[in-house]
Amino acid sequence: MSITRRVFLKNGALAIVGTSVVPSFLTRAVYAAETAAPGAKRLIVLFQRGAADGLNIVVPHGEQAYYNMRPSIAIPRQSVLDLDGFFGLHPSMSAFKPLWEQKHLAIVHAAGSPDNTRSHFDAQDYMESGTPGVKSTEDGWLNRAIAGVKEPDASPFRAVAMGGALPRTLAGSVPAVAMDNIRAFAVGGRGPKASVASNTFEAMYEQSVDSVLHGTGNETFEAVKMLRSADPEKYAPAAGANYPNGRFGDSLRQVAQLIKANVGVEVAFADIGGWDHHVNEGNVQGQIANLAREFSQSIAALWTDLGDLAENTVIVTMSEFGRTARENGNRGTDHGHANVMFVLGGPVKGGRMYGRWPGLQPEQLYEGRDLAVTTDFRQVLSEAVANHLGNKNLAKVFPGFDKSTPKDFLKYLG
Amino acid sequence: MPAARKQLILLGLIVLISTAVLFAGDKKSKSHHSDSSASAAVAPMEDDKRIVHALNRFTFGVRPGDVERVRAEGLDRWFDEQLHPEKIDDGALESRLAPFHTLKMSTKEMVENFPPPQVLKAIENGRMSMPHDPAKKAVYESRMAAYQQRQQNKEDKAAVDNTPSANAENSTAKAQPAAVTQTDADPKDVPNEMSAGNDPSTADQRKQQKIRENAMYADLDTDRLLKLPPDERYKAILKMPVDERLDLAKTYKGPRAMQLVDDMKPEQRETVEAMIQPQAVLGELAEAKLLRAIYSNRQLDEVMTDFWFNHFNVFIGKGPDRYMVSAYERDVIRPHALGKFKDILAATAKSPAMLFYLDNWQSVGPNSELALYGPGRFAGRRGRFPRPRPQAKNRPSGLNENYAREIMELHTLGVDGGYTQKDVTELAKVLTGWTIEKPQLGGGFKFNERAHEPGPKYVLGRKIGEHGEKEGEEMLDVLAHHPATAKFISRKLAMRFVSDNPPQTLVDRMTDTFLKKDGDIREVLRTMFHSPEFWAADAYRAKMKTPFEFVASAVRASGADIQNALPLVGTLNRMGMPLYAMQPPTGYSMKAEAWVNSSALLNRMNFALQLASGKLPGTSLDPQALIPGPAPADSQAALASLEQSILAGDVSMQTHTVLQKQLGDPQISQRRLDDPDKKPNYGAIAGLIMGSPEFQRR
Repeated sequence: MSITRRVFLKNGALAIVGTSVVPSFLTRAVYAAETAAPGAKRLIVLFQRGAADGLNIVVPHGEQAYYNMRPSIAIPRQSVLDLDGFFGLHPSMSAFKPLWEQKHLAIVHAAGSPDNTRSHFDAQDYMESGTPGVKSTEDGWLNRAIAGVKEPDASPFRAVAMGGALPRTLAGSVPAVAMDNIRAFAVGGRGPKASVASNTFEAMYEQSVDSVLHGTGNETFEAVKMLRSADPEKYAPAAGANYPNGRFGDSLRQVAQLIKANVGVEVAFADIGGWDHHVNEGNVQGQIANLAREFSQSIAALWTDLGDLAENTVIVTMSEFGRTARENGNRGTDHGHANVMFVLGGPVKGGRMYGRWPGLQPEQLYEGRDLAVTTDFRQVLSEAVANHLGNKNLAKVFPGFDKSTPKDFLKYLG
Repeated sequence: MPAARKQLILLGLIVLISTAVLFAGDKKSKSHHSDSSASAAVAPMEDDKRIVHALNRFTFGVRPGDVERVRAEGLDRWFDEQLHPEKIDDGALESRLAPFHTLKMSTKEMVENFPPPQVLKAIENGRMSMPHDPAKKAVYESRMAAYQQRQQNKEDKAAVDNTPSANAENSTAKAQPAAVTQTDADPKDVPNEMSAGNDPSTADQRKQQKIRENAMYADLDTDRLLKLPPDERYKAILKMPVDERLDLAKTYKGPRAMQLVDDMKPEQRETVEAMIQPQAVLGELAEAKLLRAIYSNRQLDEVMTDFWFNHFNVFIGKGPDRYMVSAYERDVIRPHALGKFKDILAATAKSPAMLFYLDNWQSVGPNSELALYGPGRFAGRRGRFPRPRPQAKNRPSGLNENYAREIMELHTLGVDGGYTQKDVTELAKVLTGWTIEKPQLGGGFKFNERAHEPGPKYVLGRKIGEHGEKEGEEMLDVLAHHPATAKFISRKLAMRFVSDNPPQTLVDRMTDTFLKKDGDIREVLRTMFHSPEFWAADAYRAKMKTPFEFVASAVRASGADIQNALPLVGTLNRMGMPLYAMQPPTGYSMKAEAWVNSSALLNRMNFALQLASGKLPGTSLDPQALIPGPAPADSQAALASLEQSILAGDVSMQTHTVLQKQLGDPQISQRRLDDPDKKPNYGAIAGLIMGSPEFQRR
């Protein structure tokens, strides 16, 4: 694992060791943070689409009921990467273990939405709008989280999503950019100067009376210009940041490039699909193992890659709902209720579990079949929005949610 | 500065006058400047605008000359004709599609021609034999060798174990750009030997070295190979030892494989591709979808086939679905595209593609014979008394609710259709036993009585008595005729054809027809066509094109000739709309907000420029031919002519003014002292028009 400034600060090592014996690559790391984006707080939201099986990701290996209900897909006790004697990580998520030990990674189990829908579509919609049960909400919570503080020279990259289409989470009044690939973010080639076509399109959309396309067009060309001068592609992954192959790793690598290029990213969003394991979920190996490995390795790589910029970064993961506590007849799991959320970041008091564990005894299960929700996902997000991003107007971010006062926070931020 | 401003005003005036003059005598362009402020909700469209509107909604885009053709025929007659595609000749499209053999194959034939791992395993274990036909045999040998190498790699990797890149093979499979190779459902299922051996962390360095060397030598050999005439090249490949063919596959992966099969006969090309790149052959389906949208005369039939496929979405990357989707679209969706809703619902419910995609094939009633007694042949029935073996492993024994839920939420009632979790569970019981005969080998629908949950079921307040397969048929019929279904389907059709938020009065009228006419989609569309809301001025260009609609309409407007649609398939992958590869059962959104964002807009502009300049691979387009008839007198006239053919003459003043200013740019005017007659760059102008705000809408 790479040693970074936060580790030094947390352990007080820099003070003890003294600068004369600190290797040059470390001093570089120490001072890099001062040159790029000083003080800017960032929130990165990662969505596991398809309803990840939280019980096989952070395994309650201290519960016999878990093993009773999952005869073929449970993660055996001896394979679990133990965290606190009761919970443990799936063995393919070894990349998370050091982050936990360095106390940067916190885990909230049994978190989720109070709405009881078991439809992917609705549940994702509710989690992304931040208003469970209310379909008429037009914007997403992450957009509202940074709305209302528009400065005249706000960056077009305040809100960035990796992917071809803008996710619901980021829809709203703050202009948000969706991109598949940084390299493709230009018209008529990515030369140092704008092409004739680029200038023409810019003028066309600038003057268009089509209100939707006019707005998007303006945002687009503003962003293109900024990216051209910042040139994020020149930032190669830091030593030790090994992004696995695949779309998710690519997305996070580019998120890191944008942050390092200092284009003003405040919130970023990326997603990873394929968690809907109705059939042959696997246990230590198999479908969930492969996906959990890709997921954790990508996030760990992002963490390493950000280096000292990670100090002001919080990463939150979520999935629309959990899966049935019992395995089904196809060695898979069906749509359930509560799930696990990871919170990783410089200001995070990690290395411990948050939230109340409801238990897996039959009478403790939600509707007799699923892990019960004891922490509303909005409680987790509220704390990050208020105490990290600094937006205290939570009634606007999560309208109708009455547990967004500081006393309801889990206090995972130090 | 004031002088510059004066000039600008003057220029603006000239523009106004010249456009007015240009279009004054032109009846086609009564509505030259689309004026949003004037479009009161009740105002109807003018005649020619009606034609453009209808073409925009019922086809994949207006081609040059379409407006004139429909005007000559009469709009109502044209629409009626489109409602009866069987009466429309489509010979030209058929000959374009003729080389794609997989389109006509049954799922079983697909499996035979492109053996999946299960078949290869069966041959390896002696349970099946190699085919005799030399071409087929060569394909099998190649696949077998690739399969064995993959197995070997897996073992090697298992030995290396938990290093960060131990998963590289699977992850790479996911990163494949071509949509049809996506495999999130089960990475093991996809032949992807091309990425094997590239794993830098594999312990066996010497083996790596050997692979690198082989690839190098393969490079040398194939250089020679490429110089051979196509027929000899084909024979040479067939004669190659299997190992060499594998190396060939590694060298010629992705788009480079095209060079290998260049100019070969279609069947030769298929054989070679099946050997080295089976995904490419399966990609024929995506190519065909684009070619149909672009070239079919049965446009409404295509639009509706697209609509229903998206409604009853199936993801091609999920296991054997890759072999099933061709037959699904051809035999299940297309024949019912303009038919009755109950028929298409019933057909999808019994299709292997859907049964596999939403897991129903594995759903087993908890109290069924299969669950209680296991798969033994004599269990249950013949007077013996086998003991229940609930612990028996390795066979499905439980209820799977996935399909039952989606059928109500997405296919019929809609999410607000008034059903409960209990209804989902009960419907799942009703549908137990609806399964597939040997899904991995291309089998069809089968009702397995032994997997069917016994006893009565209660769905939507209705008691379903015990009738085996008939229970499901009964429930599908109930769902197909349910008022919530009529409303849900009518609204979705109105969203496709009218606007993202269609007027309730229109939806009500369509719902009424749906209920009165037994869910006859043709009649529902007719009702919509004859409704004032469809023709309301604010419906004109109210719909944002999806990436698929945008690409198809751009090619149609350009009159380009597509020899190879794969680059278009790749374009759609980049635009976030890979064909047949929408993973969730929701299908793609057809609302504007899903498709309007910076990245998407840039992709559209870049595609427009590439297409119109004639630089899109696999596409021939002569930019000069974008303007039919005699050459325009000057660049002004050229611009007017291009606006006429690409936007049916209906361009906003803002866009027109910007374009007109650009005519002076040397890259566009191509004005040269030594060649004063050189024509302006029509391709560049056309690309700018196709990237304009107007062209993003339909």
